[in-house]
Amino acid sequence: MSDESQIQQTDTEPSPPSPAPEYEPAAQFHQVRPHVKRSPAAAAGIGIAGWILPGLGHALQKMWGRAIACFLAVGILVFIGSGMRGNLFQSADADAFGRLGYIADVGTGSFYWLAKWLEVKGPDVSHADGDYGTRFLAAAGVLNLLAALHAYEAARGRKA
Amino acid sequence: MIFNLSHFQAMVLFALMVSIAFGFLSRRPMRERAKYIGWSFLLFVVIGIGIGWMMYPFSR
Repeated sequence: MSDESQIQQTDTEPSPPSPAPEYEPAAQFHQVRPHVKRSPAAAAGIGIAGWILPGLGHALQKMWGRAIACFLAVGILVFIGSGMRGNLFQSADADAFGRLGYIADVGTGSFYWLAKWLEVKGPDVSHADGDYGTRFLAAAGVLNLLAALHAYEAARGRKA
Repeated sequence: MIFNLSHFQAMVLFALMVSIAFGFLSRRPMRERAKYIGWSFLLFVVIGIGIGWMMYPFSR
Protein backbone atom coordinates (compact mmCIF):
# COMPACT_ATOMS: atom_id res chain seq x y z
CA MET A 1 0.00 0.00 0.00
CA SER A 2 2.72 2.30 0.96
CA ASP A 3 4.67 1.30 -2.13
CA GLU A 4 1.71 2.18 -4.36
CA SER A 5 1.32 5.57 -2.82
CA GLN A 6 5.02 6.20 -3.31
CA ILE A 7 4.77 5.17 -6.92
CA GLN A 8 1.78 7.45 -7.45
CA GLN A 9 3.64 10.32 -5.92
CA THR A 10 6.65 9.77 -8.11
CA ASP A 11 4.49 9.34 -11.22
CA THR A 12 2.74 12.63 -10.89
CA GLU A 13 4.24 15.26 -13.14
CA PRO A 14 5.68 18.35 -11.52
CA SER A 15 3.30 21.26 -11.74
CA PRO A 16 4.41 23.96 -14.21
CA PRO A 17 5.87 27.06 -12.64
CA SER A 18 3.31 29.79 -12.03
CA PRO A 19 3.59 32.58 -14.59
CA ALA A 20 5.42 35.66 -13.41
CA PRO A 21 3.26 38.76 -12.91
CA GLU A 22 3.43 41.22 -15.77
CA TYR A 23 4.61 44.00 -13.47
CA GLU A 24 5.11 44.41 -9.80
CA PRO A 25 2.31 45.99 -7.75
CA ALA A 26 4.51 48.93 -6.74
CA ALA A 27 5.14 49.72 -10.39
CA GLN A 28 1.41 50.02 -11.09
CA PHE A 29 1.38 53.52 -9.63
CA HIS A 30 3.77 54.68 -12.31
CA GLN A 31 1.79 53.07 -15.11
CA VAL A 32 -1.59 54.60 -14.33
CA ARG A 33 -1.30 57.36 -16.88
CA PRO A 34 0.41 56.67 -20.20
CA HIS A 35 2.67 59.40 -21.45
CA VAL A 36 0.99 61.51 -24.11
CA LYS A 37 3.40 63.38 -26.32
CA ARG A 38 1.80 66.47 -27.78
CA SER A 39 3.09 68.70 -30.58
CA PRO A 40 5.39 71.59 -29.59
CA ALA A 41 2.64 74.13 -30.38
CA ALA A 42 0.04 72.32 -28.27
CA ALA A 43 2.54 71.91 -25.44
CA ALA A 44 3.41 75.62 -25.62
CA GLY A 45 -0.30 76.44 -25.46
CA ILE A 46 -0.62 74.29 -22.33
CA GLY A 47 2.41 76.01 -20.79
CA ILE A 48 0.99 79.47 -21.54
CA ALA A 49 -2.40 78.43 -20.13
CA GLY A 50 -0.63 77.28 -16.98
CA TRP A 51 1.11 80.63 -16.72
CA ILE A 52 -2.07 82.70 -17.24
CA LEU A 53 -4.09 80.71 -14.68
CA PRO A 54 -2.02 78.73 -12.14
CA GLY A 55 -2.79 75.01 -12.41
CA LEU A 56 -4.63 75.23 -15.73
CA GLY A 57 -1.75 73.64 -17.64
CA HIS A 58 -1.95 70.54 -15.47
CA ALA A 59 -5.76 70.55 -15.42
CA LEU A 60 -5.81 70.41 -19.23
CA GLN A 61 -3.76 67.20 -18.95
CA LYS A 62 -6.07 65.79 -16.25
CA MET A 63 -3.37 66.02 -13.59
CA TRP A 64 -5.90 67.16 -11.04
CA GLY A 65 -3.77 66.87 -7.90
CA ARG A 66 -0.99 68.97 -9.35
CA ALA A 67 -3.47 71.47 -10.78
CA ILE A 68 -5.18 72.00 -7.42
CA ALA A 69 -1.86 72.13 -5.54
CA CYS A 70 -0.40 74.76 -7.92
CA PHE A 71 -3.58 76.85 -7.89
CA LEU A 72 -3.83 76.83 -4.11
CA ALA A 73 -0.12 77.33 -3.40
CA VAL A 74 0.21 80.27 -5.81
CA GLY A 75 -3.20 81.68 -4.84
CA ILE A 76 -2.52 81.57 -1.11
CA LEU A 77 0.95 83.12 -1.53
CA VAL A 78 -0.54 85.95 -3.62
CA PHE A 79 -3.44 86.45 -1.21
CA ILE A 80 -1.21 86.57 1.87
CA GLY A 81 1.48 88.60 0.09
CA SER A 82 -0.94 91.29 -1.00
CA GLY A 83 -2.58 91.19 2.45
CA MET A 84 0.83 91.92 3.98
CA ARG A 85 1.04 94.93 1.65
CA GLY A 86 3.94 93.59 -0.38
CA ASN A 87 5.36 95.61 -3.24
CA LEU A 88 4.19 94.73 -6.75
CA PHE A 89 6.91 95.82 -9.15
CA GLN A 90 5.94 97.83 -12.22
CA SER A 91 7.13 97.31 -15.79
CA ALA A 92 8.52 100.85 -15.85
CA ASP A 93 10.97 100.28 -12.98
CA ALA A 94 14.33 101.86 -13.82
CA ASP A 95 16.77 99.58 -11.98
CA ALA A 96 17.62 95.96 -12.77
CA PHE A 97 16.30 94.72 -9.42
CA GLY A 98 12.92 96.27 -10.14
CA ARG A 99 12.79 94.71 -13.61
CA LEU A 100 13.68 91.28 -12.20
CA GLY A 101 11.04 91.75 -9.54
CA TYR A 102 8.50 92.60 -12.23
CA ILE A 103 9.35 89.41 -14.13
CA ALA A 104 8.88 87.40 -10.92
CA ASP A 105 5.61 89.15 -10.07
CA VAL A 106 4.14 88.84 -13.54
CA GLY A 107 4.95 85.11 -13.37
CA THR A 108 1.71 84.71 -11.42
CA GLY A 109 -0.18 85.49 -14.65
CA SER A 110 -3.70 86.72 -14.02
CA PHE A 111 -3.05 86.72 -10.28
CA TYR A 112 -0.81 89.77 -10.79
CA TRP A 113 -3.92 91.85 -11.38
CA LEU A 114 -5.74 90.04 -8.60
CA ALA A 115 -2.96 91.10 -6.21
CA LYS A 116 -3.24 94.69 -7.48
CA TRP A 117 -6.97 94.58 -6.90
CA LEU A 118 -6.54 93.12 -3.41
CA GLU A 119 -3.99 95.75 -2.36
CA VAL A 120 -6.48 98.51 -1.80
CA LYS A 121 -4.15 100.51 0.44
CA GLY A 122 -1.09 100.01 -1.75
CA PRO A 123 2.29 98.56 -0.78
CA ASP A 124 4.02 99.44 2.48
CA VAL A 125 7.55 98.11 2.79
CA SER A 126 8.46 100.32 5.73
CA HIS A 127 7.54 97.38 7.99
CA ALA A 128 8.76 93.79 7.97
CA ASP A 129 5.29 92.59 6.92
CA GLY A 130 5.46 94.51 3.65
CA ASP A 131 8.93 93.21 2.96
CA TYR A 132 7.79 89.63 3.55
CA GLY A 133 4.76 90.28 1.36
CA THR A 134 7.06 91.35 -1.48
CA ARG A 135 8.92 88.02 -1.18
CA PHE A 136 5.65 86.08 -1.05
CA LEU A 137 4.45 87.69 -4.28
CA ALA A 138 7.77 87.10 -6.06
CA ALA A 139 7.94 83.49 -4.83
CA ALA A 140 4.38 82.88 -6.06
CA GLY A 141 5.38 84.11 -9.51
CA VAL A 142 8.53 82.00 -9.73
CA LEU A 143 6.61 78.97 -8.44
CA ASN A 144 3.96 79.46 -11.13
CA LEU A 145 6.62 79.78 -13.84
CA LEU A 146 8.11 76.51 -12.62
CA ALA A 147 4.67 74.86 -12.69
CA ALA A 148 4.00 76.17 -16.22
CA LEU A 149 7.37 74.81 -17.37
CA HIS A 150 6.53 71.47 -15.76
CA ALA A 151 3.17 71.41 -17.56
CA TYR A 152 4.94 72.09 -20.86
CA GLU A 153 7.46 69.31 -20.23
CA ALA A 154 4.68 66.90 -19.27
CA ALA A 155 2.81 67.76 -22.46
CA ARG A 156 5.94 66.97 -24.47
CA GLY A 157 6.10 63.58 -22.73
CA ARG A 158 9.30 64.29 -20.85
CA LYS A 159 7.78 64.34 -17.36
CA ALA A 160 5.36 61.94 -15.70
CA MET B 1 -7.71 92.48 4.17
CA ILE B 2 -4.51 93.21 6.09
CA PHE B 3 -2.41 90.42 7.60
CA ASN B 4 -0.02 91.01 10.48
CA LEU B 5 2.06 87.86 10.70
CA SER B 6 5.08 87.34 12.90
CA HIS B 7 8.42 86.41 11.33
CA PHE B 8 7.97 82.79 12.37
CA GLN B 9 4.40 82.56 11.07
CA ALA B 10 5.45 84.03 7.73
CA MET B 11 8.36 81.60 7.46
CA VAL B 12 6.21 78.56 8.30
CA LEU B 13 3.50 79.59 5.83
CA PHE B 14 6.04 80.20 3.09
CA ALA B 15 7.77 76.86 3.79
CA LEU B 16 4.47 74.99 3.76
CA MET B 17 3.24 76.46 0.46
CA VAL B 18 6.55 75.97 -1.36
CA SER B 19 6.98 72.43 0.01
CA ILE B 20 3.49 71.42 -1.13
CA ALA B 21 4.07 72.83 -4.62
CA PHE B 22 7.49 71.18 -4.93
CA GLY B 23 6.17 67.87 -3.62
CA PHE B 24 3.25 67.73 -6.05
CA LEU B 25 5.40 68.77 -9.01
CA SER B 26 8.35 66.48 -8.40
CA ARG B 27 6.95 63.25 -6.90
CA ARG B 28 4.24 60.90 -8.18
CA PRO B 29 2.84 58.36 -5.75
CA MET B 30 0.99 60.06 -2.90
CA ARG B 31 3.17 58.41 -0.26
CA GLU B 32 6.36 59.70 -1.88
CA ARG B 33 4.80 63.15 -2.14
CA ALA B 34 3.87 63.21 1.53
CA LYS B 35 7.36 62.11 2.51
CA TYR B 36 8.97 64.75 0.29
CA ILE B 37 6.64 67.50 1.53
CA GLY B 38 7.34 66.61 5.15
CA TRP B 39 11.10 66.54 4.72
CA SER B 40 11.17 69.70 2.63
CA PHE B 41 9.02 71.58 5.14
CA LEU B 42 11.11 70.39 8.06
CA LEU B 43 14.37 71.39 6.37
CA PHE B 44 12.99 74.81 5.39
CA VAL B 45 12.01 75.53 8.99
CA VAL B 46 15.09 74.05 10.67
CA ILE B 47 17.56 75.73 8.30
CA GLY B 48 15.62 79.02 8.55
CA ILE B 49 15.82 78.97 12.34
CA GLY B 50 19.48 77.92 12.14
CA ILE B 51 20.37 80.84 9.85
CA GLY B 52 18.43 83.15 12.16
CA TRP B 53 20.49 82.05 15.15
CA MET B 54 23.72 82.35 13.14
CA MET B 55 22.85 86.01 12.43
CA TYR B 56 21.97 86.71 16.04
CA PRO B 57 25.49 87.82 17.17
CA PHE B 58 25.62 90.41 14.38
CA SER B 59 22.14 91.80 14.99
CA ARG B 60 23.15 94.25 17.71
